[in-house]
Amino acid sequence: MPDSLAIKRVSATSSALIPLDSLRSGGPVYSKLVDISKCIGCKGCEVACKEWNDLKVEQTTNFGSFQSHQDLSSNTWLLMRFNEVEVGEDLSWMIKKDACLHCEEPGCLFSCPAPGAIVQYQNGIVDFNQDNCIGCQYCVSGCPFDIPRFDKETKTVAKCNMCIDRVESGLEPACVKTCPTNAIEWGIKDDMLAQAEKKVERLNERGYEHAALYNPGGVGGTHMMYVVPHGDRLEDYSLPAHPSASPGQLRGLNVLQRIGSYLLGFGVISAFVHFLAVGPETPEETT
Amino acid sequence: MPTPLIHRFSLLERLVHWVVGLTFVVLLGTGLAFAYPSLFWLTTLLGGGAAARVLHPQIGALFGVGILVMFGLWVRDMFLDGQDRAWLGAIKHYAAHDREKVPPAGKYNAGQKLFFWVQSILGIVFVVTGGMLWFPESFGAAWLNTARLLHYAATLGGGLFLIVHVYLGTVAYPGTARGMIEGKVTPGWAKLHHPRWSGDRADR
Repeated sequence: MPDSLAIKRVSATSSALIPLDSLRSGGPVYSKLVDISKCIGCKGCEVACKEWNDLKVEQTTNFGSFQSHQDLSSNTWLLMRFNEVEVGEDLSWMIKKDACLHCEEPGCLFSCPAPGAIVQYQNGIVDFNQDNCIGCQYCVSGCPFDIPRFDKETKTVAKCNMCIDRVESGLEPACVKTCPTNAIEWGIKDDMLAQAEKKVERLNERGYEHAALYNPGGVGGTHMMYVVPHGDRLEDYSLPAHPSASPGQLRGLNVLQRIGSYLLGFGVISAFVHFLAVGPETPEETT
Repeated sequence: MPTPLIHRFSLLERLVHWVVGLTFVVLLGTGLAFAYPSLFWLTTLLGGGAAARVLHPQIGALFGVGILVMFGLWVRDMFLDGQDRAWLGAIKHYAAHDREKVPPAGKYNAGQKLFFWVQSILGIVFVVTGGMLWFPESFGAAWLNTARLLHYAATLGGGLFLIVHVYLGTVAYPGTARGMIEGKVTPGWAKLHHPRWSGDRADR
């Protein structure tokens, strides 16, 4: 698949504003589909992620949860979160596969000041290139899902890369490959959307009347989508109900930056015009 | 025999001025590099993007200390009096070099005094928001994004101030920069720009 790594956007370049696939497109667009109702909590995906991506093992501590780690880190790109929540009389696990959602409109990439540190491919994958990362961590505050993690040793930021090295070879990501119940599926995004629709219907039939697809429009949709049984309780899954790729402050910043360059240029020109108009005022010295 | 020069700025005043001035230029350069991809090459002057990112807040800390010392050194001279307000009313005559219509200034004219106050406020914004962005782990995303917005807004103010300051201090008013380099100005310069000051505080 020669076109599978065609580039869509590169951080801090013009393509961050005008995506390249608006000029030239083609090739498959992929998505993961995570069906929470089918997850049995084996954490095989976490192991597969560590193994395939050669990520360092971290010392974990028991903090009174079934969860393996307390949080994502620069060496833990995938964490199954087991939020224990009461639903009616029962205790329920609101499981979340916490990893990069690979937004169609990536807030991290829009926030990044370092050219080439974040790349979005036309197939939907958003990847960090640590060689170009300057360690400012703007992507961390730019991400509406709190995914990127700063590595204090390398002074760069890391996150799930959707096993891009497998995808470019026509394979599915490691977590998908290892999942024993097919709770994580992989395929063309349109197919996954159709699949999700059926899954939601089936959950509705089983009595999960609020079952829903999570593919939030505020970030243009994602390339890891969820089917959640309790779609009315997104916050219990630690999923933001209205994530945004460009929150108000950053939109304001962009406007200011556009005006700012003109303003500074205007300042220099004004000084020059003033000089031409009235010239220097030289003091008279009485000797 | 040449007329004796008038002492205007002490060594400490000049030193602090140049610490603040030079650090600000470096901060402005790297800051604009982070704000504008087309200026990212400026980071090369400090050893590349990662090095610039590490140095920017460290140089910023030095800038913050400089601004603080500057404030302590000059604040008592910076309160506006009645004649300063009259000076502000005549600012267009000042800009047009129409000296007869400009009320006489003291050691600092009203424009310089206001410059001082705005600069001090911008300094606080720079240091507080810059400190947040330096240690982002301690703050939530909304706070950090707000800090970025304010940090940039202050940069615009500071950048414009730098342009005006350098222009007025060099080509527009010859003899001015000398006061900040050698610490001394000519009697003619003092009489023209700061008539209420010339001589009366020559001991400083």
